[in-house]
Amino acid sequence: MATIELRDVTKDFGGVQVIHGANLSIEDNEFVVFVGPSGCGKSTLLRLLSGLEELSSGEIHIDGERVDHLPPARRGLAMVFQSYALYPHMTVFQNMSYALKVAKKSKQEIEAKVHAAAEILQLTELLDRKPKALSGGQRQRVAIGRAIVRDPKVFLFDEPLSNLDAKLRVQMRIELTNLHQQLQSTMIYVTHDQVEAMTMADKIVVMRNGHIEQVGAPLELFNKPVNKFVAGFIGSPAMNFFQGKIISANEGAYEAQLDNGAQFKFKTKAGLLNAEDKIDLGVRPEDLQPNQDGSGKIVGKATAVERLGAQTYVYLSSPIKESMIIHHAGDLDVQSGEEIEVSFNLESCHLFGPDEQRIEFDG
Amino acid sequence: MSTMNKKSGDLGTWLMHIFLGVNAVIMLYPIIMMALSSFKTNKEIFSSPFSLPQSFSLDNFAVIWNETNVPRYFINSTIVTGLSVLVLLVVGTMAAYALSRYKFKGNIMISLFFLSGLMLPLRLAIIPLFIQLKTLGLVDNLLGLICIYTAMSLPATVFIMTGFLRSLPSELEDSARMDGASEFRIMVEIMVPLITPAMVIAGIYNAVPIWNDFFFPLIFIQSPEWKTLAQGLTAFFGEYSINYGVLYAGLTLAALPIMLVFIVQSRRFIAGMTAGAIK
Amino acid sequence: MAQAIDTTYENAVARRRNLRKLWLAFLLFPAMAILLTFVFLPMASAVWYSVYDWDGLVRGEFVGLANFQEVLFDARNNKFLINAFFNNVKVFIALMIVQNGLALTLALLLAREPKGYRFYQIAFFLPVILSTVIIGFQWKLFLNPIFGLVNTLLRNVGLGDWAMPWLGLPETALGSMILVNAWHWVGFPTLVFLAAIHRIPKDLIEAARLDGASEWMIARDIIWPLMAPAVTIIVVLTFIGSFNWFEIPYIMGGLEGAPAYSTDMLGLLFYRTAFGSVSAGNSDFGTGSALAVLIFIFIFTFSTIATRYLTSREVELS
Ligand SMILES: Nc1ncnc2c1ncn2[C@@H]1O[C@H](COP(=O)(O)OP(=O)(O)OP(=O)(O)O)[C@@H](O)[C@H]1O
Ligand SMILES: [Mg+2]
Repeated sequence: MATIELRDVTKDFGGVQVIHGANLSIEDNEFVVFVGPSGCGKSTLLRLLSGLEELSSGEIHIDGERVDHLPPARRGLAMVFQSYALYPHMTVFQNMSYALKVAKKSKQEIEAKVHAAAEILQLTELLDRKPKALSGGQRQRVAIGRAIVRDPKVFLFDEPLSNLDAKLRVQMRIELTNLHQQLQSTMIYVTHDQVEAMTMADKIVVMRNGHIEQVGAPLELFNKPVNKFVAGFIGSPAMNFFQGKIISANEGAYEAQLDNGAQFKFKTKAGLLNAEDKIDLGVRPEDLQPNQDGSGKIVGKATAVERLGAQTYVYLSSPIKESMIIHHAGDLDVQSGEEIEVSFNLESCHLFGPDEQRIEFDG
Repeated sequence: MSTMNKKSGDLGTWLMHIFLGVNAVIMLYPIIMMALSSFKTNKEIFSSPFSLPQSFSLDNFAVIWNETNVPRYFINSTIVTGLSVLVLLVVGTMAAYALSRYKFKGNIMISLFFLSGLMLPLRLAIIPLFIQLKTLGLVDNLLGLICIYTAMSLPATVFIMTGFLRSLPSELEDSARMDGASEFRIMVEIMVPLITPAMVIAGIYNAVPIWNDFFFPLIFIQSPEWKTLAQGLTAFFGEYSINYGVLYAGLTLAALPIMLVFIVQSRRFIAGMTAGAIK
Repeated sequence: MAQAIDTTYENAVARRRNLRKLWLAFLLFPAMAILLTFVFLPMASAVWYSVYDWDGLVRGEFVGLANFQEVLFDARNNKFLINAFFNNVKVFIALMIVQNGLALTLALLLAREPKGYRFYQIAFFLPVILSTVIIGFQWKLFLNPIFGLVNTLLRNVGLGDWAMPWLGLPETALGSMILVNAWHWVGFPTLVFLAAIHRIPKDLIEAARLDGASEWMIARDIIWPLMAPAVTIIVVLTFIGSFNWFEIPYIMGGLEGAPAYSTDMLGLLFYRTAFGSVSAGNSDFGTGSALAVLIFIFIFTFSTIATRYLTSREVELS
């Protein structure tokens, strides 16, 4: 039971503004992921929510109540840190029970809660150990257990998996998703790994330079990125962009030319674009296919080929663009250095105007 | 540097061992002689100064125990050193905690204030200090010494503790804040337990010079009952100036406790005493 | 209504901020108060006192720089001052060579972690932890002209001609005390240097060795420049220690720098001037304070210059 609302939240550190008027609503039980490049303000936003940082302006509401004047512990949140931040001098049990001890809960209650959480996370055997004697994955679990014990309305995670190896990360990702289902509470999760974002989130918040760029369901972001940044950020491998310009605009019917000379026509709302406007045409690697079915064609030389059996990545160098990437489901018998032709359909492309905002094709 | 070539047998290595060995003998022999002589009678000291004592008789020590104020001095030194170091560590760690864990206006100014205290040789201000303590009624009073030692050693303590406290991750603190702990509780229950080794180091760094000091007692303490060990030895030396065995026993007794602790805790001692000089 | 709600939030935030200020004040106040009262206040007072005439513990008239003049130019004081000052200079130079030179050699050897490495460390450091009083008296006993172990030893090994009243002759007294001081403290610079050497990345030294550098070249070209910060600290500490030198000469030679003021030091002179003695007459807080201020200015100026100069030759290790 927790909805969260940020209203015009800003934060500056000694005059440098790092969050510029963030507005965001989070529904009850939602799994929300903040993504964005390093330094964009994800952690800061999370810390503002948690109360570890003071707002410079704006308001935060949890369940309809304003909380931005409350200390962290009275906001009903729990946080899992990137470094786990386990108290090194305390046992797992003491780590997990510390918040309850501070809150002066009874011994029985503490025992019961810690054991219940330990049960969920398979930590029962480890309760008497110190953090030093745990593996990375176990420490991670303790950090989560410490949050669960408090029965918070909202869980906050700041890149909790980034210190784990690849295999454990996949496993923990699944466990966290299961945990979310089991606990039925709101979770906010910060990462710069967009695979984590895509697989775990109900709702993704893409950030850049302290601005929220887009908020939406994973596939919504994938299919309809609102601007070039989101388009390039979501999806792996990243979208290929071709630069070009509008050569004629006529009542919603446009003609554009890419830098290599290829021309194409499209329709959209009248007045959106003018002649000479710079545009970017985005094509996802999986929409570039080694055949001649599409309307757009590109010939280039494969500079590198990664054949993984079930999928193939080809890095292509062509006059239109020095480097682009093709993703083919299945095996593709291409050698590095070979010349190949790929094609794409305009309908599967994403068009961005001079302000890098998305332009929707019309019909 | 353990990978340096340790070929034994070559001439250089032999010379090195001889050089180090001779030095070790020069350092240790006088201390051993002092200890051995403390078991000897005056006559023995004159007739066979270098041989082992005829018997390990404790007569000289008995003289000290029964006839001198040395035990009293011992207690005074323990009180002064113990309380000074205790107050220092508490007060110094508190200040260091504020300076290292919080950003606030004036942080740099206050850090500089403590740092500049490192460069003030308090001995040269002994006259005003004397007048000041006199007005406060702290002359000829152990409390006066405790105040001086605490103040004098605070800058270095703050300096050392700040260094250690800075190295603790801030996520621990944040985590405890999320857990609802007050700032006081975070300091006492989370952060300070993690720097106890540092406190031991800072404690030794201060305790040894305070225990050994004799300049300030020389000026501030007159009554025999408040003299500290180092200072008291001077009085004792005047009194027993011709009874060498007793003098050696006094020196040995004074050196013994700190030497025992050192031999057991040599690593910490060395780390502690060189803490101020190693960045 | 909305207005009213807003102020409650602001009040809550303001309350939290005030609480934080109070907490910071609580943490900082005791240390600052103690330091101000017992270090800064007396230091400032010393300057203040030096421009007054004093009669025992009672402050008299403002006399401007008269006290300084008396210390520096009065024929009788002046003689003592110059003598003591040059004795301090001798102590500094001798300690730099004997104590720190030996320490550097020992540190370079210990850095190779020879057999008995821990033992050597403990042995060299053992005297450091002992009180100067113990060391001073112990060596005074050892150096006793008749019964002292030093002379007995010399006689036993057939060097009886060398046996002499070490602390009784103006030619040998200061040198003996300097050697005693070096014996007392040599472990300290040794271990500071050793820690500095250990901090030099091993690959640097190994790379040099692979380049074919001899041990001597490694010491000169790699270790020495990279341990510069430790050298700076030791030089400055030795400087300050030499010009504050008090305990050893006081215990071994007495307040008057016996024999014949050959072991007189600024520290002893200051003590005599301030608290009175045979040679300096009655206690005089005015000239005493003036002398203290002068010593402080001297030490402060030179250690600052030395730190600047020495720091400029340090290389960043990163
Ligand atoms: N306490 C602080 N003082 C000053 N600047 C800060 C502080 N904390 C963060 N910043 C700045 O705010 C910006 C956002 O930082 P933040 O840690 O929120 O980024 P992030 O998105 O979490 O990055 P990452 O993915 O690397 O963790 C950065 O430019 C950072 O330098
Ligand atoms: Mg971050």
